[in-house]
Amino acid sequence: MHLLIEAIGFGVASGAVLALGAVGFTLQFGISNVLNLTYGSLMSLAAFLALFMINLGWNVWLTMAIGGLLIGIASVALNRGLLAPLIGRGMQRTSLIIVTASAGIVLQYVIVAVAGPSTQSYGNLQGATLHFLGWTLTTGQVVIILLTVALMACLHLILTRTQLGRAMRATSANRTLARSCGIPTSRVSDIAWFLSGVLCGLAGIALAITIESFDFTIGPIFLVPMIAAAVLGGVGQPYGAMVGGLVVGVVSQVSAAYWDPAYENVVALAILIIMLLVRPRGLFGANWSSRKLLA
Amino acid sequence: MRRNLAFPAIGVATALALGGASTALASSGSSAPINVGVIAPFSGPAAEFGTLLSAPCQAATWLINRDGGVLGHKLQCTPVDDTGDPADAVPNVTRAISTISNFDMAIGLESNTAATTGPIVNQARIPYVTTNGLVSYNRTHEKYFWRLTPADNANGVAFAVWAIEKHYKRVAVVFENNIGSQGNLPGILAAMPKLHGTITNNLTIPADATSYSSVVSTIISKHPQALIFSGDPQTTATFMANYSQLNNGHLPPMITATDSLTPDFFNAVSKAVGKSYIFNDVYLVGSYFSNNTPAFKAYKGAMVANPLTRKIADVITTVGPPASAYDGMTIMALAMLMAKSIKGSVYNSYIPKVVSKKSGAVVVNTFAEGKKALSEGKKIQFVGVVGPVAFNQYHNFSGQFAASRFTAANNAHQLSVISGAEVSRLLG
Repeated sequence: MHLLIEAIGFGVASGAVLALGAVGFTLQFGISNVLNLTYGSLMSLAAFLALFMINLGWNVWLTMAIGGLLIGIASVALNRGLLAPLIGRGMQRTSLIIVTASAGIVLQYVIVAVAGPSTQSYGNLQGATLHFLGWTLTTGQVVIILLTVALMACLHLILTRTQLGRAMRATSANRTLARSCGIPTSRVSDIAWFLSGVLCGLAGIALAITIESFDFTIGPIFLVPMIAAAVLGGVGQPYGAMVGGLVVGVVSQVSAAYWDPAYENVVALAILIIMLLVRPRGLFGANWSSRKLLA
Repeated sequence: MRRNLAFPAIGVATALALGGASTALASSGSSAPINVGVIAPFSGPAAEFGTLLSAPCQAATWLINRDGGVLGHKLQCTPVDDTGDPADAVPNVTRAISTISNFDMAIGLESNTAATTGPIVNQARIPYVTTNGLVSYNRTHEKYFWRLTPADNANGVAFAVWAIEKHYKRVAVVFENNIGSQGNLPGILAAMPKLHGTITNNLTIPADATSYSSVVSTIISKHPQALIFSGDPQTTATFMANYSQLNNGHLPPMITATDSLTPDFFNAVSKAVGKSYIFNDVYLVGSYFSNNTPAFKAYKGAMVANPLTRKIADVITTVGPPASAYDGMTIMALAMLMAKSIKGSVYNSYIPKVVSKKSGAVVVNTFAEGKKALSEGKKIQFVGVVGPVAFNQYHNFSGQFAASRFTAANNAHQLSVISGAEVSRLLG
């Protein structure tokens, strides 16, 4: 029983990072309907930008905030500079996926060209080990969990309590109708890409802190469980992605504790497949934009 | 060769990859250079392998060419990018064989791709000295295959022998799920019971996971005295950081392969758990060679003298696989002289004759000495960096093993030699 409780704690810690990334990924997908596979490479870019700033002697949490903002801007630039023009020319969604995957690979090799292929590290930023309720977590992990909770709460407030949230939901539900109602869908889309990019950047840096050591593949490797978390929750649903991240994280750690750790990701993905067979639209069913989010 | 190895400067890698390769498609005339295929990843995540194997090629080429080359031909290193992925390796190697003239010897063919590229090179009748540790090659019938490094299962036995020598009777075995790491496992499983040791955990872990905390927790509960571990730098750093966090900062000693003797591994793990652990508690076990022999001095001297390899000479010359590649090239070049032919189909059978011990033979340690002795009509026995070689019927040779430690200069300090005969006995 102790092992189970402990494994759940480990799962929550890794699930928090997954949730950060998965929410950003699914938020952008919900608005733009583009499966953005560059997302993983943008996470890598965030990790390396933070490394650059940490090597300058900057505080890690400050670099995390700046890194998130920079990736937010990069994310908007990716959409405005590459994807939106292609969509404007009528490119099919499947072709766009190839474009995002290609852009991601190019970005990875740009990182390698600049920073080299070697493994990098911010050093040990985990802090003291804390024991509570049968869980064993580091200070760094606790901070990341709290940060994730706070960001998810902020996102919830934006989506449910603000004009912007309404506009995002309307744009997601029907872009043409939203535009004819006077919603500046282009600006809403930019904001969604920006928020998604910020979460992507934060996830990339949080991941680099958590695993202590990383190279240019850090984001793309993480992309698979992150997409699994997003799909498990229901593609395009931020709340689903939050829960999906936690489920994938916890299932991976519990299966590693009780079964062969080599298959921890396999177990999580198998559960995803079974879940989708039972509930094809994911845990949260209908699209978030059409859910009654306002009180 | 098992894993990704990183080197200090990407510029060095590029220079090594390109150095001497510019005329790979040169004419096949009577004095055209002999192309030595360095079949290794030169792109992708394992690209440092190309650097690792280009360096000994450059060193051997530099020495051989300085002494006039082979039968009027200079040697040149020609990178053949196998990318570390069999899907790319097969077309790339096939294309190289069909387009490069005088492609008469090869080195490299590491574990990830050797099973697919080896048969292609063998079919083309190109003798090759491989650095792969695949157990499947222990009893191969590929005529042009030669190996001067131990198979992975023998390495695994050496891990177990060293653990027991250090009085670590209870060990946890944790290997990443890749072909190279897993190859060590049968040797450990065979040897530990014979040595009256206990394996507390035998776990395979995925590479580059976000957390190994659950795995670490199960290991800690069994109280092992040491870890026998194999993983890439990132995986190792994450795993050991998790271990430290969950065990109040206490880490058990780690026994791992000499493949880990890289700046990448050193930097990743030392940043995660501290340099003190790296210097005092990480043991590197792998094939042994002495750095006090004439052959080693020539090898190191060539590395230092050659501008292309000078910067990485100190690191490269402490690792076994490059030394075996260097020796392999010298052996093949001397076999060409013996056979009076640069054709693989002709000189291949002379390879064991270059190294075999025989009455009246002159022991030579360099290509220059061998060339001189052969020109005087003498019999030779080449004893290179890896020491005296005796190939078995399957063209394999596995010598002694050694346990080493990291030094502050990121080189290895040798602690002890592990008997090759003992390893063979335990494996049998």
